[in-house]
Amino acid sequence: MQIAYHLIVLYLVGHLIWYIFREKKFWNQVCAVLVLIMFLLRLFLIK
Amino acid sequence: MKKIKSKLISSLLLLLTLVICFLSGLKFLSMQKKETVFPSEELTSKKMLSSYFQSLKNTWGDTEVYIYEGQEKGGNILIQGGAHPNEPAGFITAVLLIENIQVTKGKIIIVPRANNSGFTHSDPQEGSPQRYSFETSVGRRSFRYGSRLTNPIHQWPDPTLYINPAGQKLSGTESRNLNRCYPGRKNGRLTEKVAYGIMELIKEEKIDLAIDLHESAPEYPVINAIVFHENSEELAALALMELQLEGFEFSLEFSPKSLRGLSHREWGDNTQAMAILLESANASHGRLKGKTSAALIVEGKDKNYTKAAKLGLLFVPFAEEGIPLKLRVARHLAAVKSILSSLEELHPEKRVEIKNMPSSNEVRKKGIGPFLNPPN
Repeated sequence: MQIAYHLIVLYLVGHLIWYIFREKKFWNQVCAVLVLIMFLLRLFLIK
Repeated sequence: MKKIKSKLISSLLLLLTLVICFLSGLKFLSMQKKETVFPSEELTSKKMLSSYFQSLKNTWGDTEVYIYEGQEKGGNILIQGGAHPNEPAGFITAVLLIENIQVTKGKIIIVPRANNSGFTHSDPQEGSPQRYSFETSVGRRSFRYGSRLTNPIHQWPDPTLYINPAGQKLSGTESRNLNRCYPGRKNGRLTEKVAYGIMELIKEEKIDLAIDLHESAPEYPVINAIVFHENSEELAALALMELQLEGFEFSLEFSPKSLRGLSHREWGDNTQAMAILLESANASHGRLKGKTSAALIVEGKDKNYTKAAKLGLLFVPFAEEGIPLKLRVARHLAAVKSILSSLEELHPEKRVEIKNMPSSNEVRKKGIGPFLNPPN
């Protein structure tokens, strides 16, 4: 179960990083960063 | 050129993300560090809960058990705090006892952090402070303000519907609420194992009287109360009279037979111990509170609650001066003292003699800091 959770979060983290590099509008990138922080903390199970 | 600039900005943003994650991660992980308790010199021994139930060893459910044993035989008492780590009066009362008492007759066992895992995180979306502190003679001492429930990192996932070991149907998150998991399960979830470990402690140490220290929100009807199992009815009634003579208003609440999984029901039903639970009024975990802050926890002042009291929505008086933690701890100390003296009256062979127990009046006047030991 925990592995499935990690894989889902890892997939979303990858997507967000890809989005940050693909996106051209600065404020959209900043929004993605805000979401990425939460997902990275979740990925390392830091609550 | 434009492409390079965009890549550079993205890389800088990613670097910023990692820095923020690192700093906030350190801050979050610091919540897992237990603050040291400095027991009085008369501590007989310190064990871990896993010494009563091996399966808890090296888990976040394992917790300290402080034992004070007198020279003479007498009653065996369990005092438990921290079953709900967002109810600080229970935890702090246990800490004050550990750091001050000397037992000359009988045995007192104190578990300050019953749900150790609950101390390692905060309730989501509550904006709770990580710590609250008290001024002592050698500087400030801080304590964790935790969550009512076990950390989901230590016990996950929650079931949709939780049927506790006593057969009560509850919402899924309650599977992480220690005071809904009694009498525990040997092979259950972490919280059930902690509950099972506490039951084993009560049986192995032949506990005569077990007191569970809690707090409740001012809008909750079971407040400033002594909740008793039918096996401690007389004891609770006698203690109430003594408390009223001292000027403390308490209500007596019978532990409902159909409300299963709680300490005051299952300890009494499944062990030889007389079971009692104490409640005081804590604004910091109520639903009507304003900003949750360390000041709210320690000073207990909240404008919303004062207004709610004026509108008759609360079950306790709530004036502008609030209900400070020192008063809530003083109430717990007074109740423990009265319960112990009532036990002596009803069962002289179970008498317990304690020296240096902080008096409720002094705690109320001087605050909590003067009764905390300096690091040794």
